Amino acid sequence: MKDEAIYRRLFRTALLIRLVEERVIELYPSDKIQSPVHLSIGQEAVAVGVCDALGPDDLVFATYRSHGFYIAKGGRLDAMFAELYGRTGGVSGGKAGSMHLAAPEVGLMGSSAVVASTIPHAVGAALSFKRHGSSRIAVAVFGDGATEEGVYHESLNFAQLMKLPILFLCEDNGLAVHSHRPVRQAYRLTQHAEAYGIPGRRLEQGWDMLAVREATLEAAARVRAGAPFVLEIATSRYKEHVGVGDDFHFNYRTRDSVEAWKRHDPLIVEASLAAALRPELEREIEAAVAFAEASSAPGRPELLTDVI
Amino acid sequence: MSVATAKPLGQSARVLSYAGALLETMDAALAQHPSVFIMGQGVDDFKGIFGSTTGLAEKYGAARVFDVPLMEEGMTGIAIGSALVGDYPITTHIRADFSFLAMNQIINLAAKYSYMFGGLMRCPMLIRIVVGRSWGQGAQHSQSPQATFAHYPGLTVVMPSSSQAILDMYPAIINRHPGPVISIEHRLLYNLEFTVSPAAQRVPLTTYVARRGNDVTVVATSVMVLEALRAAQYAEDKAGVSAEIIDLNSISHPDWEVVAASVRKTGRLVIADTSWLEYGVAAEVCRQLMVRDTRLLNQPPTMLGMAPAPCPTAKSLEDIYYPSQHETVDAILTQVKGRDHGIDLPVERSMTEGYKRFRGPF
Repeated sequence: MKDEAIYRRLFRTALLIRLVEERVIELYPSDKIQSPVHLSIGQEAVAVGVCDALGPDDLVFATYRSHGFYIAKGGRLDAMFAELYGRTGGVSGGKAGSMHLAAPEVGLMGSSAVVASTIPHAVGAALSFKRHGSSRIAVAVFGDGATEEGVYHESLNFAQLMKLPILFLCEDNGLAVHSHRPVRQAYRLTQHAEAYGIPGRRLEQGWDMLAVREATLEAAARVRAGAPFVLEIATSRYKEHVGVGDDFHFNYRTRDSVEAWKRHDPLIVEASLAAALRPELEREIEAAVAFAEASSAPGRPELLTDVI
Repeated sequence: MSVATAKPLGQSARVLSYAGALLETMDAALAQHPSVFIMGQGVDDFKGIFGSTTGLAEKYGAARVFDVPLMEEGMTGIAIGSALVGDYPITTHIRADFSFLAMNQIINLAAKYSYMFGGLMRCPMLIRIVVGRSWGQGAQHSQSPQATFAHYPGLTVVMPSSSQAILDMYPAIINRHPGPVISIEHRLLYNLEFTVSPAAQRVPLTTYVARRGNDVTVVATSVMVLEALRAAQYAEDKAGVSAEIIDLNSISHPDWEVVAASVRKTGRLVIADTSWLEYGVAAEVCRQLMVRDTRLLNQPPTMLGMAPAPCPTAKSLEDIYYPSQHETVDAILTQVKGRDHGIDLPVERSMTEGYKRFRGPF
């Protein structure tokens, strides 16, 4: 059945993302990855469902929490681990690290650690697509906190004024570091977008990869026809904001809030499918880690390259 | 009279206003490269950024030259995004002060993208910002942020001081430069006419000797190059003092050897910048000379810049806030002949008197 094939494809990629990040957790105490990591464990279905619904030429502009989008868009796994290791074999030669993954060859156009800062980049790419009569679309990926920044509003306004082919994709995990959304936002995201004349949709079942994919396919079709769209997808960040640990002991959120989400999480619920796919994916990850281990560290010759 | 004026002057040389040079280079870039577009507040209106974009929207269409909402950060981010996919954006800020609203995109993003992604991402683009001065510009329409921007690796910062500098630099920037460039244009220069030769007469994006001399070196930026040239002529006429004027031109990547060679020859130094001295161009010039050879200067240098306060609006205060022609001449003469040089100084205490055609409001 066709849907079954799609589901297995999505599941496989989502599991790969989770296993990659679990490997990052294992490696982290060794200090081989010497940079902050923002894990997307719990949020994989969003990256996987969205990227699967996009064309290979469509562009994604992402955030510091983008291991998932990097993998889902098709970035090389070995170059990713080498990047986390800060090695010359890394996708950016070790100058980017976890927070700045990019893979322009597959349409991941950079990720930024300054919240909301890549949203206008997606608008700019969409402007160029429109200027040149391209059928490509641009996707701005951001968290719920980013929508509080002024540049998000500037971006919505301009995109709608110019009728640009851009999908605004909000990963709503309800948290900005440790602050909950109700204390930060006086608006509902889709209502707010509607004030600009931009249609939107909120998807509550952000664990459902097929639902995310379907919602993105519908949104992307509208965007490709020449108008912005806001897609807000509820999700859950299992780990701490930055780092590889849990943070329930700080009592800013309850373990139950995450446990409730996990009861829907297909990577947990469908344990047998995960177990079946796991050996192959782990071999893939081991090869990528071995590549990173073997890659040399950059030094003085690289220190001042590509500054301008 | 049109702001953008061009008069023929023989076969190769001609007279061209600063605004006219800007308009010519903008026009040529749009004509030559389909990837080029210009966006900014008012670029397509009847004032056309003080005449530097007038008529271009009509000529090239609204997809190439267009007005934007009041969104400096958004506009700059949009420019970066379009540059990342191969277009060449030119953005404008009619006052440099407004570019501070775009600081996040300029400093955290544009300046970083080439390096941070190991050369994977490039955002070549031109950000044109205009410094205001006189006629009560006040504290928020007068700032000259070259030191601020040049501090950050990844940005190329230039300050064209003449029509020739624009003709030489802008095509090179737009055609070939791999990264973001901030050009700090000066409002006082826009209506001035300069004699220009065919473009690409000089190597772009570097430092020029604007006037040869032997007694004292004056390192100047932007409109202060003109002030220094006027002062040098006065000093020569009145006192036979021969001042060498260096137009720094490229603020982020000057040719420091040109500066050092001049100071090695003269042993005396005046620095004339359009901004504050503290942690600025003046400080950097001194640092560059000091690390080369502590004996380059025979005596302490003289520095001219804005007084260490926000810019006042009242004309009587503004006139003493900026270095005047009087003070520029005095600096040159003091360096060469000592504090008690006894030579009459020009009576012009207000710079606007030297720029008769500059009139507000605008």
